[in-house]
Amino acid sequence: MGKSKQTGNHKSDKKKNISKTWKTKRRTKDLDQIHCDMRPDTAAKLLHQDLDYDVTGCAQHYCLHCARYFVDMKALKDHFKSKVHKKRLKQLREEPYSQAEAERAAGMGSYVAPRAVEVKTQPLDEDMD
Amino acid sequence: MRIEKCYFCSGPVYPGHGVMFVRNDCKSFRFCRSKCHKNFKKKRNPRKTRWTKAFRKASGKELTVDNCLEFEKRRNIPVKYSREMWEKTVEAMKRVEEIKRKRQARFIMNRLKKGKELEKEEAINEVKKNIHLIKAPHAGKAKQLEDKMVQKLQEDVEMGEEDI
Repeated sequence: MGKSKQTGNHKSDKKKNISKTWKTKRRTKDLDQIHCDMRPDTAAKLLHQDLDYDVTGCAQHYCLHCARYFVDMKALKDHFKSKVHKKRLKQLREEPYSQAEAERAAGMGSYVAPRAVEVKTQPLDEDMD
Repeated sequence: MRIEKCYFCSGPVYPGHGVMFVRNDCKSFRFCRSKCHKNFKKKRNPRKTRWTKAFRKASGKELTVDNCLEFEKRRNIPVKYSREMWEKTVEAMKRVEEIKRKRQARFIMNRLKKGKELEKEEAINEVKKNIHLIKAPHAGKAKQLEDKMVQKLQEDVEMGEEDI
């Protein structure tokens, strides 16, 4: 492990208490869950959600890969250009880690290299309406 | 009773040890100790964490593909107890373990050999580059001078003979 690459969080209140962000209560989606979400049928469901006034932006602007809601189209578009999003896409380009792999690594079977998965930012035209 | 494997580090999780985390989609994760659990909560990738078995396998540090790795399996079919079979199985397990250990040790030794070769190559290169630091400027020239002298003397003698 190298140096943390996080920059520019000096004044951010979000990252003040990191132990809180790791609590199960505030748990965000894992990479393997997002891989499940990326299947066409679930993806369509997540991208075309009903109006929900409790969620940011009424659940109308959702980034599938980062599992995040955005206020409006502009925020979503800006997010697609951001480093966080691109980094996430890179992480998703590999088959997710699983218990089966852990067991193989422990000596229950031979090593199988993780497959590459093609991941692209969700097409925007569908959300335009 | 079953000895599970840790999700993060692939170490054994004995009954009564470690933690099991059940995610809200019913998927369960077992951890051998709080270290692994904490790393999971921080969303670290076991493939990229250098101390896990997954990392060591993924980066070719350990024996990855071999027949001796195919014996240990999750067998979900119960087998009726028979003393003879039990004894044979234990015997086989010991033998398999012995072979496995030998092969893994040999793999690592072979892997380390390459470093030695590179080290040697580098050392030779360094000597070649900085040879002027080791060698005195006139070293090895004494013999050349001597040879030259002898040649000259011989020539002189020959010349003298011709004169006479």
